[in-house]
Amino acid sequence: MLSRTDAKAAGSKIPAGRLTLTDFDLTLPALGLLVLFFVVPVAILLARSVSEPVPGFGNYAELLGSSTYLRIFANTFLVSGLVTFVSLLIGFPVAWALAVMPSRFASVVFAILLLSMWTNLLARTYAWMVLLQRTGVINKVLIGLGLIDKPLPLVNNLTGVTIGMTYIMLPFIILPLYGVIRKIDPAILQAAALCGANRWQSLVRVLLPLAMPGMAAGALMVFVMSLGYFVTPALLGGTANMMLAELIAQFVQSLVNWGMGGAAALVLLVVTLALYAVQLRFFGTDRMGGR
Amino acid sequence: MSKPFLQIRGIRKEYGPVTAVHDVNLDVAQGEFLTFLGPSGSGKSTTLYILAGFEDPTRGDIVLNGQSLLSTPSHKRNIGMVFQRYTLFPHLSVGENIAFPLKVRRLPKAEIDAKVRDMLKLVRLEGFEDRKPAQMSGGQQQRVALARALAYDPPLLLMDEPLSALDKKLREEIQHEIRRIHQQTEVTILYVTHDQEEALRLSDRIAVFSKGVIDQIGTGPELYANPATRFVAEFIGDSDFLPCDLVTAANGRADIALAGTTVIPNVPLHGKPVVGGKAALMLRPERLRLTRSAPGGSTAVPVTVSDITFLGNNIHVATQTAKGDALAVRLPFGHEAISSLNRGDRVWLGFDPASAHVFC
Repeated sequence: MLSRTDAKAAGSKIPAGRLTLTDFDLTLPALGLLVLFFVVPVAILLARSVSEPVPGFGNYAELLGSSTYLRIFANTFLVSGLVTFVSLLIGFPVAWALAVMPSRFASVVFAILLLSMWTNLLARTYAWMVLLQRTGVINKVLIGLGLIDKPLPLVNNLTGVTIGMTYIMLPFIILPLYGVIRKIDPAILQAAALCGANRWQSLVRVLLPLAMPGMAAGALMVFVMSLGYFVTPALLGGTANMMLAELIAQFVQSLVNWGMGGAAALVLLVVTLALYAVQLRFFGTDRMGGR
Repeated sequence: MSKPFLQIRGIRKEYGPVTAVHDVNLDVAQGEFLTFLGPSGSGKSTTLYILAGFEDPTRGDIVLNGQSLLSTPSHKRNIGMVFQRYTLFPHLSVGENIAFPLKVRRLPKAEIDAKVRDMLKLVRLEGFEDRKPAQMSGGQQQRVALARALAYDPPLLLMDEPLSALDKKLREEIQHEIRRIHQQTEVTILYVTHDQEEALRLSDRIAVFSKGVIDQIGTGPELYANPATRFVAEFIGDSDFLPCDLVTAANGRADIALAGTTVIPNVPLHGKPVVGGKAALMLRPERLRLTRSAPGGSTAVPVTVSDITFLGNNIHVATQTAKGDALAVRLPFGHEAISSLNRGDRVWLGFDPASAHVFC
């Protein structure tokens, strides 16, 4: 591989052997790694899902035919959808504020965002557990203020999972959105104002449509990440609203049922890939991450 | 004119310790095309932005049709504006861009469609309504921006260097369009530019901005023939300045002494004169007469030719006075004095003192 580029480079002073995006050779090490540690295990899992306990599609039939499992699928989508929606709702104003605020303030907010991303996931989730529990700070403050009489059930249910996961997902929506909003010329919004558009009309008719690529990229990323999320739902969720990743863990760890576990994992993988295909189809790879 | 259409009254804008606009006063008549001309940082754009409502003045008032505008937010001012940068909404087609101000005003659809057609016709872009801004040239985009800004019949149109991103030929083409549209619509236009040629070509009157103040307001010929300050003289038309001594000064006229010549009487005077003090004599290259020998009975300066440049329809001759000051003269092509002229020749540049100016 190297000898070829060397020969080219030696032949002329122009860097003829300069790397191009079509130089497939360079991706081989990474590709090998991916095959060894991702494709092969997934293939084994797939094989086990159609061979254990007996060969055939029995596992898939059971998974997709039982109302218990379907409820878990539905709940997975519900939580992911809810987290995506709330993240957008909170993330958009934050991204907007970051884009328009003086850079020295923005860099402080960025530092907070990145610091939270670099903090251990478990630590952050346990912190929410402490905050949200019956005797936690939030309930105590609300009771102290006289707003509620008895503690709100904030944890071990849908509320807890949504809060905890939204917190973790927020940077993934804020960063691409920030990138898109930053590129919108403020003069365009001034033009909208002089055209007679009030703040609301400017937001709905100009700003939101222009920010759409970033919103879609961020939302899809958060939705897909949420679908397979394990730690936060496991710690902050309740038994009544289990998510798919928890189900897979249960199959493999508690029930030692690799067949069912593999089937559930494959369903998750297929849904994720399908959504990724949607993203590629409508937004293209260049729009990923708001670029 | 009983009452001015637009009054800018003592507008001042401070950014911390920096004063961008110093107490600007200006009256604009209805239907007038008035240009703010000045270099960057002279306060012309800031004044325009205050009119648009994007900046609040530190003090002063803006009165349009007898009513103060300052408490009205931008979106209720009903003012049109074309920006320096391309500000068409990129996600909307040309037709939708022009319809935007009408849609936010909730006009009936039939009325909007009719108006969009009229506007496309006005800027001569019929058939382009379904294009996206990205599919159009810069000049076309600015014409659409003009159509969008005029769609709601604003009484006042602001234009902030709308042609600065275009090349010279296209710029001249759109300048013609703007003139035609101004005559056709009779909208009052405030136009900002740093290009004197553009200002002269378009405007009824020009306000020359310098360091946050208006140095002079007048028609192009007025500013050219009778500049109030040295800055205006430098900014409008070409000019050279020769240092001189003030001998006497009275009633806007001065007698001056130029090194190497006798006293030159009766030159129009500007500024605060200090008799016996230093001043500058302004001479325009196209007003000078070049002769081989000292012209009898008229005022002239002896100079040495330092360069001769052919510029098409005229010829630019750069010269130097005995003291080393540059003084240029422009002669029409084929002028008899040119044929045998060489670098290093000693010649005389004559002028009419009444057409010159002295600045203190």
